[in-house]
Amino acid sequence: MEKSNQAESFEEFIKSFFYGRRCDLSFKFLSDLEPDKASIFIQDLFKDIVDSIDDKDLGQVKLRLLQGQMDGYREQKNFDYDSGPFFPLKKPLSSMILSLLTSSGHFLKTDDPKPLGVENMTQQEAENRVFDFLKEEPFLSEIPFEANPGELMVRHGGYDTRAALKDPNVSFPYKRMIQLNTKGVFKELTAKAYSFVGACSQIRLLKKTLPGWVDKFRNLGVDAVVLVPV
Amino acid sequence: MSVGHVARAFEDANIATVIIAVKSFETRMKMMSLPRVLLTPQLLGRPLGNPFDEQQHTEILNTAIKMLETAEQNGTIQDFH
Repeated sequence: MEKSNQAESFEEFIKSFFYGRRCDLSFKFLSDLEPDKASIFIQDLFKDIVDSIDDKDLGQVKLRLLQGQMDGYREQKNFDYDSGPFFPLKKPLSSMILSLLTSSGHFLKTDDPKPLGVENMTQQEAENRVFDFLKEEPFLSEIPFEANPGELMVRHGGYDTRAALKDPNVSFPYKRMIQLNTKGVFKELTAKAYSFVGACSQIRLLKKTLPGWVDKFRNLGVDAVVLVPV
Repeated sequence: MSVGHVARAFEDANIATVIIAVKSFETRMKMMSLPRVLLTPQLLGRPLGNPFDEQQHTEILNTAIKMLETAEQNGTIQDFH
C-alpha cells in the first residue's frame, strides 16, 4: 500500500474526532477548541491519567474531561432568545401529575422507530448518518414506566451512548421517577415516559412536531414534565 | 437545543418543565432563556451520573423536581453539587 507523504496537521487530528476517521462522541468537543487549547488539554489529560493510576482515583481524569467538554461546548453556536416563557405552578408537588421526556433516543426493542426508513439501524449507522438526522422531523417513542431496562434500546448519532446502554437511567431516569412517586414526592406519573432523538431538524420540530406534542401532553393532564437533553 | 424548544413550547401551553442537563450545556441553556434548569457536574451522555449509581440519580432527580415548586421566574438555573 502506498503511504501518503502528506503529514497530518494537529488541527486535522483534533477535527477527526468530530465524525471523522477518529470519531469519538465523548471527545468530539476537541474540534471546537483552538489547537493551542486542545494541545494543553491532551497534555494535561495524559498527566492526570498517570496520577490517577498512582493515586487509584479517577476523579481528576473526570474533572479534566468535564472541563474540556465545557470549554468545547461554550464555543458552539446556538439559538439565542432574549426572553422566555414561565408557567408558575399553583399547587404543591404532592398533588401534581408528572411525566418524563428525554432527547436520549430510547425506545422499546419491540417498537423501533426505524429512523430514515432503516430497519434495525445500528448505533454506528446513526453516527454515520447524523447529518441526515439533522434534516428530519423527530419521532416520539412511548415507553411504559413498568418496562424492564432489558426491553429498552438506545440509539443516537449525537452522543456517546455507552453509559446509557449499561443503564438507561443515566439519561432516561424512568425507574428513579417511579421511586420518587412511590415515596410520595409527587402525586402521580403518566403511564408512559417519552424519548426522541434530539439530533433533528429544529425548524421541523418547532413548526411541525411541537404543536402535536403539546396537544398530547395536555390531553394526558400533566402538570409538569421532567426534560433531559443529552 | 431540541429539549430547550420543547420546554419553551410546553411552558407556553401552561405545562411546567424542569430540565436536567450536564454543566457543559450551561451556555446553550442560558441563551435559550429556559424556565428551570438543573446543571449537573457529569460527563456528556450521563446527566444523571454514572450507570447504576441509584443514589446519585435519585438525588439529582429529586432536586430537579423540587425546582418545580421553588423557581419563581424564567432563567432559574441551579447547579447540583
